[in-house]
Amino acid sequence: MSDSWNHELEEIRARALASLAGASDSKGLNEWRVEVLGKKSALNQISKAMGGLAPEERRMLGEALNRVRQELEHAWRTRQAEIEAKEKALRLERERIDVTLPGRHVPVGAAHPISRVIEEIEDIFLSLGFSVVDGPEVETDHYNFELLNIPKDHPARDMQDTFYLTEEWLLRTHTSPMQVRTMERMRGRTPIRVIVPGRVYRRDEDDATHSHQFTQIEGLVVDEGIRMSDLKGTLEAFAKALFGPSQRVRLRPSYFPFTEPSCEVDLVCVSCGGGGCRMCKGTGWIEILGAGMVHPRVLDMSGYDSARYSGFAFGLGAERIAMLRYGISDIRMLYQNDLRFLRQFSHA
Amino acid sequence: MRASYKWLAEYLDLAGLSPAELADRLTSAGLAVDAVDPLNRGVKGVVIGKILEVHPHPHADRLKVCRVDVGDRELQIVCGAPNAAPQQLVPVALPGAKLPGGVEIGVAEFRGILSHGMLCSAEELGLEPRYLPKRDAEGLFVLPADLPLGADIVPHLHLDDVVLDLDLTPNRSDCLSIRGLVHELSAILRRPHRFPHSVPAPAVEGESPLRVRLETPRCPRYEAQLLEGAEVRETPLWMKMRLLAMGIRSIDLVVDVTNYVMLEWGQPLHAFDADAIAERTIVVRQAREGERLVTLDGQERALTPEMIVIADPEKAIGLAGVMGGENSEIGPSTRRIALESACFDGRSVRRTGQALSLRSEAQQRFEKGVDPAAVSSALHRATELLVQLAGSRPVGAPRRVPAQEEAPKPTIISFSPRECSRFLGVDVPEDEMRTCFESLGFTVVQGEREWRVEVPTRRPDVALPADLYEEVARLYGYDHIPSTSMRLPVEAPESSAHLPLLRRVRRALVDWGLYEVRTYALTSPEAEAPVSPSGVPVPLLRPMSDDRRSLRRHLLPSLAEVARHNLAHQVPGGAIFEAGKVFLAASWPQAALPEERSVLGMLWFGETEGDPFERPRRYDFYDAKGVCDALLARLGVQPTYRASECAFLHPGRQASIQANGQSIGLIGELHPDVAEAYEVERAVYAEIDLALLASVASADVRVAPLPRHPASRRDLAVLVPQAVEAQALVDAAWDALSDRDILRLVRVFDVYTGTGVPEGYKSLALALGFQQEERTLTDAEIDEAVNTVLRAWEAAFGAKLRA
Repeated sequence: MSDSWNHELEEIRARALASLAGASDSKGLNEWRVEVLGKKSALNQISKAMGGLAPEERRMLGEALNRVRQELEHAWRTRQAEIEAKEKALRLERERIDVTLPGRHVPVGAAHPISRVIEEIEDIFLSLGFSVVDGPEVETDHYNFELLNIPKDHPARDMQDTFYLTEEWLLRTHTSPMQVRTMERMRGRTPIRVIVPGRVYRRDEDDATHSHQFTQIEGLVVDEGIRMSDLKGTLEAFAKALFGPSQRVRLRPSYFPFTEPSCEVDLVCVSCGGGGCRMCKGTGWIEILGAGMVHPRVLDMSGYDSARYSGFAFGLGAERIAMLRYGISDIRMLYQNDLRFLRQFSHA
Repeated sequence: MRASYKWLAEYLDLAGLSPAELADRLTSAGLAVDAVDPLNRGVKGVVIGKILEVHPHPHADRLKVCRVDVGDRELQIVCGAPNAAPQQLVPVALPGAKLPGGVEIGVAEFRGILSHGMLCSAEELGLEPRYLPKRDAEGLFVLPADLPLGADIVPHLHLDDVVLDLDLTPNRSDCLSIRGLVHELSAILRRPHRFPHSVPAPAVEGESPLRVRLETPRCPRYEAQLLEGAEVRETPLWMKMRLLAMGIRSIDLVVDVTNYVMLEWGQPLHAFDADAIAERTIVVRQAREGERLVTLDGQERALTPEMIVIADPEKAIGLAGVMGGENSEIGPSTRRIALESACFDGRSVRRTGQALSLRSEAQQRFEKGVDPAAVSSALHRATELLVQLAGSRPVGAPRRVPAQEEAPKPTIISFSPRECSRFLGVDVPEDEMRTCFESLGFTVVQGEREWRVEVPTRRPDVALPADLYEEVARLYGYDHIPSTSMRLPVEAPESSAHLPLLRRVRRALVDWGLYEVRTYALTSPEAEAPVSPSGVPVPLLRPMSDDRRSLRRHLLPSLAEVARHNLAHQVPGGAIFEAGKVFLAASWPQAALPEERSVLGMLWFGETEGDPFERPRRYDFYDAKGVCDALLARLGVQPTYRASECAFLHPGRQASIQANGQSIGLIGELHPDVAEAYEVERAVYAEIDLALLASVASADVRVAPLPRHPASRRDLAVLVPQAVEAQALVDAAWDALSDRDILRLVRVFDVYTGTGVPEGYKSLALALGFQQEERTLTDAEIDEAVNTVLRAWEAAFGAKLRA
């Protein structure tokens, strides 16, 4: 009798394992589970029918039944894991995307090259202990010229052709009036260390190298004992910060009515490194700014006794620096604001 | 200022210094040399020849066949110049000769006749015709008869000279002359100059027949010499060539002499036909109202009382220091010459020149200041040259007003060598300083600590100790100045309030994809008309063009111009901003300077840049508002938007931006008419006043503790009439629950019209957030609050909760 049970159990087991191998997805697997291990399964029927057997026989059959059930359950779990893995792999494969498509567009934007230059120069001078101040673009003849030692009919006025609004009011031709305004505001206090970035205006025809509106950065230092060598040292530190540690500056005598002595300041040519090229006309140097020791008359007129105080001032053109730095050959590009041009300044 | 190397070398030993080296030395001492130009622009193999015979060309009317003696042989040369004539000495380019412009001369055939070389004009030799008298400039360049036959023309035409082109700074008027440059070079090179000791006054006794009356204080010194006879009128070749080198046109011997002496001494001279001067009396006075004078260039000039004229008792005969009058011009028939050497007030000369748009060499020297010590010497020198070259005879002594010859006083400066070294930051040896001054011709009286330095009148630019420091520095060499660090105290930097703000704004906008632009502040009222800004335009007195003739009052026209440019150059769209100034005036002219207001302007134009997931679309109001919201959030400002009425914006799509109860800016789509006027189709503009923004912006952070009790969120969708603004519902919710401290958030998160929403209505979805710091809120409490809000909405707007 137990032999026939055993035989039947073996048959159920063999059939179930065979059909389990045929189940290929979660649905088939589920159906198999209901059929083989569910309430209405053959195994369950055997289990129900056991009640009529002798205790010894029932124990033996029960054990056999459990072994088969456990084996089938184990087979089911193994198969389930296999199928899940396979199905997950399939799903992941279906979810494959084209990673070479561009990302959702995030516009990038850019600061104007002049602003870039101004910020960079401001940062250099801020780190040297200077403050940044701002001043009016409509100036009086008094501040723009007379307090800078350029009286009316002074031949130096030819150097700067001026946009006048009235006889006395004008668009500032340089940021230098802020030298005087700063000294007046400081009322004799020292030290003064400021830089003044700002727009200035001159009656120049616009062409590749001239613009009727451009941007200057003025610098002013006033204290007791300021020397011309301090001017050179400061500008050299600035040049190294802006164009690299191997930079040097060269001073050449020049003339500005509001500084004495005055100088033009050259840098080692940024294009050839001093060897001489077309950009520096073979000299190895490029002119970058004008500077000098504040003229004693300017100090006196601004309330600083020139017998006691001295100082230096400098003025540089942001456009010129931008053109050197970014290889811009035509100053008008800076005012045309073509986005195809500005986009090239996107990397901050 | 141009300077002839050979002329300089006449007064100074330039041995061992090429023109290029000289230029470097001048430049590094502050006299920038822009160019070094050899007069010889490529003449080689050209000799002096003599035309022996001239025959007509048998086959060409305009050509002539010349037989020319070139010293060692005779050549047949075909020539087209109408002025070719026998016995003339002319430049002959032999076969194999080279001319400027890379021209090479060979043996050529002209209509069957061989030409062994070429007879040259001045222009073919590279001489600029504009600097030569007419008869030298046209046709063959006929040479003086005393030149040696067959000799190389280069030295005889002084083509071996080199011209230095100096870009002088306005303070160095002393270098507007050869003598001035020699003084300067003498100091730079430390080589003594070799000027003659003095220029003698003409050896003529007796009072001058000329009388001079000075009726204006603007002529402190006037000297005049009368000369009789000027038989020779041809300027010698050497003087012509020297004038040419210096860029002065040769005209006539008398005029050339005055120019030559001006170039040599820096003192402008003028020659009058003395017979045109009534009563032989020269009057220097201010011009009279309505007075007119025909100047040498044939122009009739209307004079004003500010101008100084040279006159006789009857009429004006010249504009002092600017240009002579035609009525007293030196001509071929002139028998007697009145030479003038004077000082005129630079300011008047400058104004006169500006008023008449004249800019003569004389004028440039007067306006920068001439040396009073040179007035007599220059007059003597010109007299000497006219005697030597023109055969003129001085009549009487020079007339000098004022009469007593008072030597002009040097400037005396007390100078401290120690202070000089301290100021420059380099120890300059005292010997070096003294040598520097002495080589400049300054007199040094050395004291214990202070020196007394006497500066001659030819250097009016040196008046203060700082001027002497500069002389020392530039002659000692700026390169000797070291780089030093300032010893300054460390202190907290200050900075004008809105600069850091500007940087924060710039950084934020750039990070959100906007491009910063910089535009011109000059515009025109027409360009601004579509915006109709407040106030009046502030115009320039002398604009350069119509479209840049007034100061801008608004940023939109500038930004619109950028948009238009980009749309026209294949840029489909973008977002731009500028932080710039606008200039406001209620009326013009007005008593106060125009108000300068710093404004942030932003413009969105054209289409967004597409990607595979979002098709390009036009920028709209909410693009702009999103950026404004984010920007203000970044600056710690909570804005509210109120519908506004700005004529240049779309009437239904604009708002004023408010913060802390004041309007700080505006935002809106351009009115279609305005967009059309600027050719930008559709665009959205926003502007924020930077000073107002600075007053409300904050970078301070105070952290609040995180809540310990949970928050509850209720989402409500309500139907309201289209016209109801979302902000009104938000405000009403806050108002409705203002009596209890549980509402923490009201946010609109959806707006919908379409299926399920009746015509004329919209569905707004709002989230209400509730929280209490002290305890957990109960559902009943929240339900009651929500109902309170709904009742308030219904009462105020007829809002109905959507099912």
